[in-house]
Amino acid sequence: MSRSGVRRGPALRARLAAHAAAVLALAALVPTPTRAAPGPAPSGGVAVELVRNFWDLVGSEQQDARRARPEPQAIQPAPEGTPPVDLSDLSRPSDVERRLGTALAPRDGAIRVTVPGGFARLGDYRIGSTEPVEGHLLVVRGDADVYGRLHGNLVTVDGDVIVHPGALVSGDILALGGEVRDMGGEIGGEVRTLRSTTIAAPPRAEAPEPGVLATVGRRLAGVFGVFLTLGALGFGLVMFARPNLEVISDTVSHSFGRAFVTGLLGQILVIPTFGMLIVGLVLSVAGILLLPFAVAVYALLVVVGALGGFLAVAHAMGETYTRRRMALGAMIGSPNSYRYLVIGLGALAVLWLAWSVFGWVPLAGDLIGGAAFLATWLLATAGFGASLLSRAGIRENFAGRLIPPEALTDEYLWATPQFGVPAARRPGGRTPTRGL
Amino acid sequence: MRRLALAALTLAAGATSVSAQSMRTFTTFRQLHGETRLDADLDYRAGGLRIAPGRTGELYRMNASYDEDRYFPTSSYDAARGAVSLGLRPAGEGGLRVISRRQLRQDANVAFSPTVDLDLDLTLGAVQADIELGGLSLSELTMQAGASQAVIRFSSPNRSRCRAAEITAGAAELTVLGLGNSRCDRFELEGGMGKVTLDFGGAWTSSTQAEIKMAVGELTLRLPRNAGVRLTLDRFLASFDPAGLVRAGNGFQSPGYERAERRLDIQVTTAVGGVKVEWDGPESRR
Repeated sequence: MSRSGVRRGPALRARLAAHAAAVLALAALVPTPTRAAPGPAPSGGVAVELVRNFWDLVGSEQQDARRARPEPQAIQPAPEGTPPVDLSDLSRPSDVERRLGTALAPRDGAIRVTVPGGFARLGDYRIGSTEPVEGHLLVVRGDADVYGRLHGNLVTVDGDVIVHPGALVSGDILALGGEVRDMGGEIGGEVRTLRSTTIAAPPRAEAPEPGVLATVGRRLAGVFGVFLTLGALGFGLVMFARPNLEVISDTVSHSFGRAFVTGLLGQILVIPTFGMLIVGLVLSVAGILLLPFAVAVYALLVVVGALGGFLAVAHAMGETYTRRRMALGAMIGSPNSYRYLVIGLGALAVLWLAWSVFGWVPLAGDLIGGAAFLATWLLATAGFGASLLSRAGIRENFAGRLIPPEALTDEYLWATPQFGVPAARRPGGRTPTRGL
Repeated sequence: MRRLALAALTLAAGATSVSAQSMRTFTTFRQLHGETRLDADLDYRAGGLRIAPGRTGELYRMNASYDEDRYFPTSSYDAARGAVSLGLRPAGEGGLRVISRRQLRQDANVAFSPTVDLDLDLTLGAVQADIELGGLSLSELTMQAGASQAVIRFSSPNRSRCRAAEITAGAAELTVLGLGNSRCDRFELEGGMGKVTLDFGGAWTSSTQAEIKMAVGELTLRLPRNAGVRLTLDRFLASFDPAGLVRAGNGFQSPGYERAERRLDIQVTTAVGGVKVEWDGPESRR
């Protein structure tokens, strides 16, 4: 056995043990029907037994569904004043279904319906070969087995019609939520089936309120998904537009107040500016032609500004935290922009994670949610403002406005004293800032 | 980490709600009880439609999947007249409402007994239709098509003689194949605008007359080589290429028209568009 194999051995054994435990637990959970043969299975292992139990379970469920049908009984006529259900014309099955839906609504816990020139049954109903039936027949929540003769129309609701050899239905047949099986009998009229009716379905129970665990799980999944998406976008930004991201990040770090105020003003003016843009374009023919593109570009710029700014804030937070740790002597493997983003987004997610976990707690949950929203809005506003101030990271000198570019040395950046020894400006590039 | 991601994906998948159009299935049929003729009226307003010969023991059958929010199925048989009315009709008074292609997911399969004389009246709306009438006993065909795309086939000869086939098409793309198998004494087409292809191929058993009126569009006539053809053309801004037909009097005719045992007389009236002539089968048979 190789060394790696030796190392994998315990893990493999643990995994096998876990699988075996899962199978045993499943075997214990799946109920064994009482009619199953006693004693051990003649052959096969747990898996065979499980499969057998599964099909037994499926079979018993199907039988349960059959048993769920009501006991065969006559449906009493509806009280006076209730409109009857005329089954003499079945040419419009949708209309018949609508009328039956109204008529079959339980009153005082019982179904009552009047069928002019006929009668109604609840549950399975069979017409024997020696008992001709006169009039229209309505069968609710049951199958209609016809062996004999029915002189009239036949309607089933949530049940099948089976016309056996030698049987006769002189009129039309309509199966609502069932099917018609012609086994060789004679059907004088038309046969119609309309699937998936909900007339006789039991009233749908109100969906239960989700439990605390479900709520927490759903919120955690949501927060996880959102920040995963933000992380993916941020990684893309670092990969393809790192200089811009760094400039915006520096702007936030150095001019947070101004970035916030600018972002606030930007939020207020974003719609009026859009209106002015539209009006300005509408005034000229060329502008009208450009209008769709201008609208799309404007919306795109706003989204990019807000999202990029927010990610830049996360970048700045992560960078500040990392450098402070390094200043304290911690060894950081690779202090780069990807790490900054992950740390920053993680910090931003903390409040939302707290809300996910404790959001269900009365009052405290609302407070945590409000705080998370407020913090996110504040940082997003500052990020948006920084995007505007630095022109989406193009105007790179703004980030160092309060600090001379000469002061942005490696020593400064690596948390040496604030006014450390100025370093020479590196040729050919922008002033080295943070990040790699 | 991987388990966490899997759990998140599972949760996300579970949280996704799927909305579906409210489609229902409707089936209707009638056993054959010795009927010899059937007057069928099929009104189908939107969706896909297929018509074909059915089982010998059934007079007719329709299986339809329809949008119950917009349509309702109809199926009514009048034993005294030997007439059936089938179809999907729009619910409400709004008439035809084609909102999106999702609506066209409606689908219907209609079959008629091949042994009874069938008088078929079709009313089609926004329909994609594939109609196979070959093998039926068609005695008369009337069809009104709106914004339809329809293919009518006579893949095999009509089992009985057909008095007439009359088709009115609005903005449609219509193709009729194997008209020679239809055994119709008279064929009439009135088209608004669109593209119409008429294939007069098939087993011609008698002479017939065809009258075609097209307002705007392209008309393609695929003519048989085993029958004499005479084409009378009344056109305004329509192009025409005789493609082998020779001028005779006020019309064009195939070279052997006078001697032909079975003749096809076509009268075309068209305003804007073009009339294109093609020949069915290899030239050697001509």
